[in-house]
Amino acid sequence: MGDFFYGLTEQLRETFLLDAAFWMQETALNKLMVLNFWAVPLAQVMHIMAIAAGFGATLMLTLRVNNLAGGARTVPQVAGRYIPWVWWALIFIVISGFLMLIAEPVRNMINGVFWVKMALLLVTVLITVAFQNAARAQAHAAGVAWNAGGGMRLTSWLIVILWCLIMVCGRWIAYAPV
Amino acid sequence: MASYYPEPTNIWESLEYSSLGTSIAESLWAFPTLETIHVIALVTVFGTIMIMDLRLLGLASNEWAVTQMSRDTLPWTWGAFVLAAITGTLLFVSKASTYMVNPYFLWKMSLMALAGLNMLYFHFKTYQTVSEWDAKPVLPTGAKVAATLSLVLWIGVIFCGRAIGFTLGIYY
Repeated sequence: MGDFFYGLTEQLRETFLLDAAFWMQETALNKLMVLNFWAVPLAQVMHIMAIAAGFGATLMLTLRVNNLAGGARTVPQVAGRYIPWVWWALIFIVISGFLMLIAEPVRNMINGVFWVKMALLLVTVLITVAFQNAARAQAHAAGVAWNAGGGMRLTSWLIVILWCLIMVCGRWIAYAPV
Repeated sequence: MASYYPEPTNIWESLEYSSLGTSIAESLWAFPTLETIHVIALVTVFGTIMIMDLRLLGLASNEWAVTQMSRDTLPWTWGAFVLAAITGTLLFVSKASTYMVNPYFLWKMSLMALAGLNMLYFHFKTYQTVSEWDAKPVLPTGAKVAATLSLVLWIGVIFCGRAIGFTLGIYY
């Protein structure tokens, strides 16, 4: 695994990403983030809080779909409560993540773990959109007594696992073999 | 096997130079792996606490009974908290004397203790009358104060947790 990421990072170093990272390093926003000691930690706090909001909401919807919690409410009610939080959380995750990226462009852009994280994020967003649409449509069609099928339940847990994998990558960006 | 570590002069160094502490510190993967589990656990703790606190504040899920919300979220809050405490303890052991002189670590522990006291007061005092306000959208002041304190304290805990990582070389 270490070899894979080392190789990936070596390849990234040969691409336009290196110049892009150098360019980002010259921006005013980079200066702002680098010259203020608390800027990066505060962006990370915002990142963690937003992940907590999004992951917590994702978990609660997953538990409801699997009949493990929230049984007093229908799936559309639970979905209505938590789905907006997932997307608002994502907005704050992206904003805080962008601030961290611009603060340390080379450390992130020339880093295999960072790009695997971005790929996982994209996959997670696509699966989440499909899952949410399907859950709402099926629950709407079947009425309040709707019980999610095996595929929906599996997908709901897959999304939780993908969030965890993204967090694993997030932590390991700092330890990537570069 | 010869030990490369000096004789411990206090309890924190004893922890740090223990076989557990040095194993974690010397391993290439143990510390980051524990950190990763710590992160996944703590976002689950804060995420579920936030859901409950927003209900108590009357800002989200107002039409849901407080006792029901509590049953849905609390097992996950506690399960994840135990996981965060275990991984946090292991991280601590590997650098115990460094953490013990770090003000942000000491603040983090203090804020968590305050969050615990806030929870105890809420549970044993405010929550005793829950049957009177369980399904109401607007809750008594005591519940709102508890929720506000909980959010502020836990955000403080997260901030201190991050601050520790940025100040490790400064205080020792």
